[in-house]
Amino acid sequence: MSTQFHLFNYGSYPEVPHADTLGDKTVYVDLPNRYGDPVKSHWYLDSYFDSLEFGEKLGFDGILTTTQFGGPVGLTPTAMLGAAYLAGRTTRIRIGAIGPVLGAYSSPMRAAEEIALLDQLTNGRLIIGLPMGHGQNHHAMGVINPTYTRERYWEAHAVVRKAFDEEGPFHWQGKHFQIPNANLWPRPVQKGGPEVWIPGAGSRITLEKCAEFGYTWQALFSPRKALMKQVSVFHEEAAKHGYKPKPDQIAVVLFIHVAESDAQAHKEADAHLMSLMQNMNRAQLHDAFAPGHFSPETVRGFMTGGGYRSKDISKMTVEDVAEEGWGIIGSPATVREKIEEIIADLGAGKIIHVADFGAMPNWMMRKSLTLMAEQVIPHFRDKGAKPIWAIEEPVAPQTHAEYGAYYEEPEPEAVPQARLHDGTGVVDVRTAHVDDLRIQLRP
Amino acid sequence: MSETQTEAPPRNWKYWTEPEFVEIDGLRTAYRRKGSGEPLVFLHGWLHGVALTRSWLPLYDELAKSYDVIVAEHPGFGDTPMPETLHSFSDYVLHYDAFLRELGIDTPHIVGHSFGGWIAADFAIFYPDRVASLSLIAPMGMRVIDDPQTDPFRQMPDNLAVMLFGKEPDKYKDYVEQEGDVEQVVSQYKESIAFARLTWNPRYDLRHDHRLARVTAPTLVIHPADDRYLPRSHSERYAELISDARLEVIEGKDGEEASHLVIAQQPAEVAALVAAHANR
Repeated sequence: MSTQFHLFNYGSYPEVPHADTLGDKTVYVDLPNRYGDPVKSHWYLDSYFDSLEFGEKLGFDGILTTTQFGGPVGLTPTAMLGAAYLAGRTTRIRIGAIGPVLGAYSSPMRAAEEIALLDQLTNGRLIIGLPMGHGQNHHAMGVINPTYTRERYWEAHAVVRKAFDEEGPFHWQGKHFQIPNANLWPRPVQKGGPEVWIPGAGSRITLEKCAEFGYTWQALFSPRKALMKQVSVFHEEAAKHGYKPKPDQIAVVLFIHVAESDAQAHKEADAHLMSLMQNMNRAQLHDAFAPGHFSPETVRGFMTGGGYRSKDISKMTVEDVAEEGWGIIGSPATVREKIEEIIADLGAGKIIHVADFGAMPNWMMRKSLTLMAEQVIPHFRDKGAKPIWAIEEPVAPQTHAEYGAYYEEPEPEAVPQARLHDGTGVVDVRTAHVDDLRIQLRP
Repeated sequence: MSETQTEAPPRNWKYWTEPEFVEIDGLRTAYRRKGSGEPLVFLHGWLHGVALTRSWLPLYDELAKSYDVIVAEHPGFGDTPMPETLHSFSDYVLHYDAFLRELGIDTPHIVGHSFGGWIAADFAIFYPDRVASLSLIAPMGMRVIDDPQTDPFRQMPDNLAVMLFGKEPDKYKDYVEQEGDVEQVVSQYKESIAFARLTWNPRYDLRHDHRLARVTAPTLVIHPADDRYLPRSHSERYAELISDARLEVIEGKDGEEASHLVIAQQPAEVAALVAAHANR
């Protein structure tokens, strides 16, 4: 099976002071927004979407949007709007909204509705990521108490799942939500809803649920050893449900930059990668570990058994990033070789390629992405190197002719009707404008 | 317990004393008790990076000179586990009602500091007839527009000590250091969960604005003059809304500010104010 490649960018607003100089301010929560020039913000967003749109021409399998609130880390506070915009700018490539933070919605049905609508707008090209949100998100959202985040998230997930899998309306009577009439319109065009990915930083419950529902587990930045252990837990959990995870249920996030040679690649990318690690990826511990975002046992585990980051992310060198298997910077040959290693170690079938490193200019990124598409990706695909969307058919008809063929089967349960006041009674409005076809359905 | 459970380190820090335990509605509740006289219940606060539980503080000794002082650890704090059913301050009020009944205490003097002041105020709202006197020391729980309390969850470690103890935080290491290392971090994180459960959002109770009129006990609100954590306006608002209340501002002494942790800085002075009020 071919390895899938999905393009992800941060879409940061990069013109911010170095985090070392911010005192008690942080990029995730309270950096004053006067740094964010509105006109330049437009330009950075334009460049962000331009690079993702380019992903289709390059032949990536998917392009991914992200949710980042309240700071310059990403200028897209909702992955959903970005995905909707890209749906209109592309035709066939898969679009992953990674994703709506369920806890930020006052009702999970609102999330289910947005997901279903987006699935319709993309004609089933949608992948949906369901991140729980960072600890630091709680400080700006003003919605969720972090001590409830996890249980509220899983209850919201159960509501969304039920809305996708079962007929409505239904009455949800939960701990965090009570919805007398949960009734999903439109239903997603993909049967049972879009493919689901869940990002995980090491919580066992994420692995359990991904195994239970056959989801893709998106491994976030953890030390390689911890990742390998998590993969084996994923296998154990899947075995409880009687199957072995398919490679495409494991997605790995990688910072990738390709240039003509290893030396050239480092010259182009190193400073950008360091800027990302030292600024955009940097959270204060008290923010990341908002009370209850993790359990006390998990915190003890992080402190005693590793599993969390063994090193302050902002102190990492380019070599450290490479060593952990988070980043690959080099010639096409080097990048091919390292990706092969990572795939072998983790059994991963999906690569999430982070290309912009937060602040890399569009033109430089395009060179790297073109080399990636032409000289790396084909190596991991079956002959012809078609992306997955060029192999599979769209879900719903694209043309009137195809729609016509679909419409006949099965016989519709109801037709559009009206009661006319001229004595005709109730008629089928589709043909009511033709005298001969103005037929009474009932008096 | 998880497989990473380490052996508990010895509890030999300065203010550690062995607690007693009593079962309250199925919850093994830790408390400490000392002194004689009329019963006085002290409701502790919680502040990031400070160890106000698992200890018997000098202030309690001062109070115990004239009272039967009872200091319990709230559900979710110290050695009292957090029950799944904890959702709001009213759960604490019901817990303390049951706790006092279990100990056979009918109408104690009630003193609360910071977060504990909020609990004390709620207890006095729900059970106005069961409070002999009420003392609130820099109590949390009021909304004052344009003068909010400092964010308790987002302080850089370096700022924190000064914010809570004033300019000479090093003098109060005994109020910070317990077993150290992993187990103290975990203990602190556990307590932060109970604290956040009740105070994350909103960080005040708007109902206090009308409910505090229910408080009938004579009330003293003590405010540290130089508190950088809780503005004076919050203590003033409590004093304004409780009918039989007065505000006492405690000044710094010997060139040192009076900070939010005035209970550590001036235990004898705070105890004297509380005792004079409770005795009146």
